[in-house]
Amino acid sequence: MITIRPFTISDVDSFISWTSDQRVVRFQRRDPCATKDEALSYLQTHILPHPYYRAICLNGRVVGSISVKPGAADDDQHKASVGYRLAYDYWGQGIATAALKMVVESVFSEWPRLERLEAMADLENKGSQRVLEKAGFEKEGVLRKYVSGCAIAAEVACMMYLSD
Amino acid sequence: MDNNKTTTTTPEPIITLRPFTLADIDDFMVWASDDKVSRFCRWDTYTNKEDLIKFMTNTVLPHPWFRAICLNGRPVGAISVMPSSEERCRGELGYVLGSEEWGKGIAPAAVKMTVKSVFEEMEGLERVEALVDVDNKGSMRVLEKVGFLREGVLRKYSVLKGRTRDLVMFSFLSTDTMHP
Repeated sequence: MITIRPFTISDVDSFISWTSDQRVVRFQRRDPCATKDEALSYLQTHILPHPYYRAICLNGRVVGSISVKPGAADDDQHKASVGYRLAYDYWGQGIATAALKMVVESVFSEWPRLERLEAMADLENKGSQRVLEKAGFEKEGVLRKYVSGCAIAAEVACMMYLSD
Repeated sequence: MDNNKTTTTTPEPIITLRPFTLADIDDFMVWASDDKVSRFCRWDTYTNKEDLIKFMTNTVLPHPWFRAICLNGRPVGAISVMPSSEERCRGELGYVLGSEEWGKGIAPAAVKMTVKSVFEEMEGLERVEALVDVDNKGSMRVLEKVGFLREGVLRKYSVLKGRTRDLVMFSFLSTDTMHP
């Protein structure tokens, strides 16, 4: 059974297991946490105070995370962006898709002004693109050289979900 | 060689880009006070000079890359590229042109000059992007004429004057070829 819940400090060990895994963080824009101290710091300064950052649990065990970042400026309150990560051993089981569907429903009901939820996936990240498609996101296009990572600009596909 | 034929040619308008100064305020007011121009812009039509001076001082003069589009030396519009605060590989293009000057090829010429300049001047820049309202056909034509690629429609992307709008994303890369 897949559930979503807020993180606690005691989740740091599960968190560090995937957050330092190159296969998981490959398309991530921020640097992975290499040490337990870095993981703790990230948990405390970024995750716990975050407007929407959740642990993805499989039968009560933390196997990944999913977060929704609301639009920054006053003009962007109608939109938010979602990102997710899953421990490698749990890929291919529909867990990310299930978590994403739950989060989509949750944020559209909790944030009445939300009209657009967007997600980006690196062009090479076929797995993530499949997750988004299965969860009902629509691919809007490929934004060429949209982000620079490791000094190489990558292409990303942008998808979104409309509240109707 | 036929010396008896007289031909009249209209001199090609000379389009140049240069930084603004406060002395340009009256020329700026011409398009800033025009509803046709502000229609798809985030700003409301200007009705007084003081507000425009404030905009010039606070936004235009300190801007990383903001230029007057000049027709034979007279400012008839403005064009800018805002580097992204998140990624140095991309910058966002924006431009406005007085409505009297529409349809003369001025905007495409200004965009071409701008794109060439910013790829030279902005370190690390690889992508110039532009977001155009789905109803702004004129602006889409400008970008297509230059050689920008239409990447897709970003639905409910922006709020324009109280309404959520679909925007079309266009881009031009440093590796792309400009139309002649």
